[in-house]
Amino acid sequence: MSMTKSQRRHAFSAFRYLVLTVWLAIVAFPIFWMVSTSFKPDREWFAWPPVYISENATLQNYLVVWADVSEYAVDETGNLETVAQSLQRPWVALRNSALISVISTTLTVLFGAVLAYGVSRYGILSEGRMFQLLMLRMVPPIVLIAPISIWYSALGLLDTITGLVMLYFLTTLPYAVWMAKSFIDEVPREMEQAAEILGASRMRTIWEVVLPLVRSGLVATFLFILILTWSEYLLALLLSKTAVVTLPVELSKYQGSTEGRVYGRQAALSVGITLPLIVVGLIIRKHLARGFSFGMVRR
Amino acid sequence: MTAETTHNATPARGTQRERTRAQGIRRFKWAVLTPFLALMLFILMPAFLLQGYFSFFAFSIFDAGDNLGFSSYFQASEWVGLDLWANALSDAKFGFAIIRSLLFATGVTVGCFIIGFALALLMYRPFRGQGVYYIFFILPMLTVPIVIAYTGEMILYQNGPLNDILSILTQTRVEAQFLYKQEVALTTIAFLEIWNWTPFSFIIMMAGLASLPKEPQEAAQILGANKWRIFWEVQVPLLRPVILLALILRFLESMAEFPKTWGLLQGGPGSATETVPVYIFINAWQFFDISYGAVLSYLILFMMAAIVMSAIWLLRREKKSLDAMYDSKPQEG
Repeated sequence: MSMTKSQRRHAFSAFRYLVLTVWLAIVAFPIFWMVSTSFKPDREWFAWPPVYISENATLQNYLVVWADVSEYAVDETGNLETVAQSLQRPWVALRNSALISVISTTLTVLFGAVLAYGVSRYGILSEGRMFQLLMLRMVPPIVLIAPISIWYSALGLLDTITGLVMLYFLTTLPYAVWMAKSFIDEVPREMEQAAEILGASRMRTIWEVVLPLVRSGLVATFLFILILTWSEYLLALLLSKTAVVTLPVELSKYQGSTEGRVYGRQAALSVGITLPLIVVGLIIRKHLARGFSFGMVRR
Repeated sequence: MTAETTHNATPARGTQRERTRAQGIRRFKWAVLTPFLALMLFILMPAFLLQGYFSFFAFSIFDAGDNLGFSSYFQASEWVGLDLWANALSDAKFGFAIIRSLLFATGVTVGCFIIGFALALLMYRPFRGQGVYYIFFILPMLTVPIVIAYTGEMILYQNGPLNDILSILTQTRVEAQFLYKQEVALTTIAFLEIWNWTPFSFIIMMAGLASLPKEPQEAAQILGANKWRIFWEVQVPLLRPVILLALILRFLESMAEFPKTWGLLQGGPGSATETVPVYIFINAWQFFDISYGAVLSYLILFMMAAIVMSAIWLLRREKKSLDAMYDSKPQEG
């Protein structure tokens, strides 16, 4: 109690840095471990004591997983190679993931933004309906996935990009509409009225007045939805067989193989899956809160 | 800016101009909603009905034999009435799965919230290094869940780094089994889930704290309240909508958690990690018992719908009171 005010402030500051740094270590360690493992030669994957930073760092894992360099790996690893090779189609998976997430995210955000504009300016959906829309996201997809896969097989949509895109569209739409609306709500209505008084048509007003003002918000919405779609696992696993394998499903195949774990390869693939998301997430870090605040956070 | 003034487009008693405007809005509304409703009608509705059909007509993929056409599903199924429903309601494993999921979701929600809120409280006022910490703290959310599952396995592996670090700290050789022991498996998954999603609670609470109006806190300070009382009696009540949001969304999402539980343990060891999604998955996709899976799904659908609707009701109530509060405040510039 005898501390002066500035002493107390210093103590608090030290306490804050201590706590934050402990959590920083907890957060950073798994990511560090993933990256570090991806550069380890196979004999260090399971070594005791564990190798934290390999002195024999190698690109072998990346080459085997992403570049299909098999001879190079065979001298080093022997029979593990056959496992890794029979499974590896990561570029196909990358293409699928990219196609599916970009197509479905584009559709969702386009549609969501138009809907959000309608809600924001003309109230075409009541607030009750807007909240009901959230049910699409909040009810766990597992409860409908079995009949959807049967219905998809009847429609010939199983194992197709279209099939997955339609479901991603439905399950990410609620977030897209809510997030886009939060940006559109911030555009002062007076600007549109002014444009209208000056004789601009509805379309021109939207195109030349509203859109430039919400552009960065819509980009943030796009990237936010992209994160959700890119990392989705359940639907991608159950509605695809061989043709449309996405990256998360591709990764889980390494785990499924019973011939022993291939940590280095898994890590090299994991880095490839995670890197785009981290880049995207850091770009929109200031807007992340909007994705799920549903108008509860005022600024 | 109040939303209500321009929203009410219905009173069409006015001029011709107003009436065409209302018409235009209605046309716009249906033009926008049609593709969405079409998808609901052609994708989700039939699935929902099929689910209903198979919950009364027993059918598993094996019944269809080699002929796996869509129509064969119906030929191979047979009417069993409410039998499957009765089975499901007396299925102890199903009951345990529900309890397990509720415990898992509750633990994860509380864990994420406490850590996220504590970090946000430490961080919401500017300080040196704030930006760097923020960037690091959101990273787990950007790491794909299935990646976390497998990276988690590498770290939790018996000869892995976590046991090594524990060994160094305790000066004894620690060989803990974090994943393949029944007693701890679900807790381990819960910790992975907490690691994964604490950023979510953190971000929401940061935004909430940053958006708090300053005046009430200053007023309390002038009245001589200490930090503790300001926190409990001013900040927390003002944050209530945001807190509810952070809790509800996290709870619902962790009820549906699948990639980590399935990717790592497939419900095992024993049935220690058989949560609801995993149990439904096992029935429908491993035993190919579509009908029993359908009944379980229906029951969970009803349960979740009830939970979600009360959650939505709560959120709406909070939003209304928030809107009322902000609308009553005089607008400045």
